[in-house]
Amino acid sequence: MPLFKADDEVRVREALGGLDRPVELLVAHGPEETPLPGAGDIDFGAETERVANGLAELSPLVSVRVEEQPDGFARYPAVAVLPEGRDVGLRYYGLPWGYELGSLIGAVLEAGRAQSSLKPASLERLASVEQELAIDVFVTPT
Amino acid sequence: MLLAYRLALASPWIRASAIEATEFPALADSLDVQAVPRIVVNGVPQWDGAVPESVFVDRILAPAFE
Repeated sequence: MPLFKADDEVRVREALGGLDRPVELLVAHGPEETPLPGAGDIDFGAETERVANGLAELSPLVSVRVEEQPDGFARYPAVAVLPEGRDVGLRYYGLPWGYELGSLIGAVLEAGRAQSSLKPASLERLASVEQELAIDVFVTPT
Repeated sequence: MLLAYRLALASPWIRASAIEATEFPALADSLDVQAVPRIVVNGVPQWDGAVPESVFVDRILAPAFE
């Protein structure tokens, strides 16, 4: 099954065409997760890799690397979004599918910007932070 | 989710993770996730739902200045 409908693919390809810099997607595989009720035969790790490769096919600036249990991951499967190959702490844990495919695409678009899309007032406030903050956002694909 | 990613990209002190709640039910249960998006900072649940950028920044940075 293709990753996108034809018209959606055109829109995503156009959006990715605006990237200012390369973005690498590091797909992290780990020990097999306990199968979820109703999940059938879905291989979440393989599907996550397919999603990452599907995005990379739409832009020469998006690349994919796959590793088994790399450092810096709390659970699997996962995708790290690396602007210019640098780990700045962007993660997607789980299979980015359905509505949440948009979150991964959004992460790639943000990581591919040379300049932040935050408002100047927000950037000014962030400049005063000198304490580690880990933001976890729980999401669902529907 | 995008606001969290934007903050992480803008500050070396901030990391941002999306966690698919149905794939990690034990973790979601431990943080009493009943609605999404649920925002958790440094392991402590903060709020549910989308908010404007200024509110998001205020709420995320609150623990850093307590």
